[in-house]
Amino acid sequence: MPGLRELQTTFSENLFDENASSVQTSIYAGDFNTGQRMQIYRNNIITSFTDALRAVYPVVERLVGHGFFLYAANDYIINFPSTEGNLHNYGHRFPSFLKSFEAAQELEYLPDVALLEWHYHEVYHEQDSAPLNFHALSMVDPEQYDSLRFELSPSCRLMQSAYPILEIWRVNQDTYAGEQNVDLRSGGIKVLILRDSRKEIALHPLGAADYQMLSEISQRRRLNDCLNAALAVDGKFELNEFLQQYVTNMTLVDFDLG
Amino acid sequence: MRNGENNLPAQPVSARAGIGLRSPHYQDLLQCKPDVGFIEVHSENYFGRGGLQHTYLEQVRCDYPLSFHGVGLSLGSTDPLNVKHVERLGRLVEFYQPDFVSEHLSWGSVKGRFLNDLLPLPYTEEAVQHLAERISMLQDYLQRPIMVENVSCYLEFKHSYLKEWEFVSAVADQANCDILLDVNNIYVNAHNHDFNGEDFLRGISGNRVKEIHLAGHTAKEYQQGAIIIDTHDNRVDKSVWALYQQAIQMYGPKPTLIEWDTNLPELQVLIEEADIAQNIMLEIESARVA
Repeated sequence: MPGLRELQTTFSENLFDENASSVQTSIYAGDFNTGQRMQIYRNNIITSFTDALRAVYPVVERLVGHGFFLYAANDYIINFPSTEGNLHNYGHRFPSFLKSFEAAQELEYLPDVALLEWHYHEVYHEQDSAPLNFHALSMVDPEQYDSLRFELSPSCRLMQSAYPILEIWRVNQDTYAGEQNVDLRSGGIKVLILRDSRKEIALHPLGAADYQMLSEISQRRRLNDCLNAALAVDGKFELNEFLQQYVTNMTLVDFDLG
Repeated sequence: MRNGENNLPAQPVSARAGIGLRSPHYQDLLQCKPDVGFIEVHSENYFGRGGLQHTYLEQVRCDYPLSFHGVGLSLGSTDPLNVKHVERLGRLVEFYQPDFVSEHLSWGSVKGRFLNDLLPLPYTEEAVQHLAERISMLQDYLQRPIMVENVSCYLEFKHSYLKEWEFVSAVADQANCDILLDVNNIYVNAHNHDFNGEDFLRGISGNRVKEIHLAGHTAKEYQQGAIIIDTHDNRVDKSVWALYQQAIQMYGPKPTLIEWDTNLPELQVLIEEADIAQNIMLEIESARVA
């Protein structure tokens, strides 16, 4: 009789490999065969992981169709195990998986669309934050501006793509009823995925300088360094306008003078 | 969700029928405020640090007694208890102060790989000891008693020498924890493994049962007959209602939860199911008084 450790190890092996059936010698068959019994668990597990992926990646599913999605999900589930009991964190490597998934190679934009959906999913569950303290900011001595470091909200993500992923995302929402075709050559995009004060998530297209500025801030660079990087992208970049906009919409939620 | 403790008034769960809350029903529930006994949620759905689901749950916590039901801790696994998971649960419990906290008598991970399912254990002394130790660790960490739930099974191990109800009772006794008795799971296992559901009920001490679960199931047909799968995707079967009636007759009224996870209907359907459970408890109580 196998100990608990051995039983669980061989049970798990048989879930992902029908031929690794040593656990079945420990299973009482009754009116059914032991393979049929294991198959019930195999089905349940594949279904619940697939449902978890479908919940995070609805646009990917629409783009590739239900059948193809199941096929891709099955491959992913077998090769990329879950590492925790919280199913909401499952699927973070699906975008990079799609990049190397042979059968999806023609859909070059698919991994970026998937990454946009993963960011959206993460932002939904992220920590809440209070608005930046404008008064405290106005009290900072101008001589200290050089050492200011802003902090991005935990509930925002930045990404860029060589494809019009925002448009692809938009026309594949359930609530959208217009033209479905997107011109893939219409160019890339930079996006801010942001949960607002009402905890609703919006996808904001970003100009190159704003994107640069926010990327520098996300790396905790000093204000002056961020500003120089943004000005290198666009000489007309306006810091005041930028601060006004991104403090108000709660992308910037804190600062320090480190 | 903010850090640390909340000063929330106690909202004890009483022996009434409640419903499991899933995200599509948040707004309906908070708008209609149906008269149900308590609300149960899956703890893991709130492991994220913030966002809309916490806003909703904080409102729910004000209006209803709350029960946290875990599905992912893998109590029966031979891997070490997942510290991150336990800590996350601890912070949630500290913040929301739910009246009930529960988990399952199953395993779901081995060698770091999580199957995120409620997998069966052999009914042996080794498994009893192992579960009891881990439940004790969890109760010590959370500084409160927890309930453990019997699960549906589609296979049995040859080396199980305890009856399932003996196994459940032994774990509860050794860990000194409470039992969340899933009557649908008893019915499913009684059918799948050919025992009498009443024997299960009789084998459990009613004092340990702090909550009962009810849900819909689905029969999967094979050439050799049917295996019943615990699908949580439809109304409670009439045979399960009959077994529930016997449970209430034996144990007296207990907080009873309607669970529904897939093919979620309108909130109203869950409320109707809860009303059926509530009426069964009322009828049995009034017959007893009369």
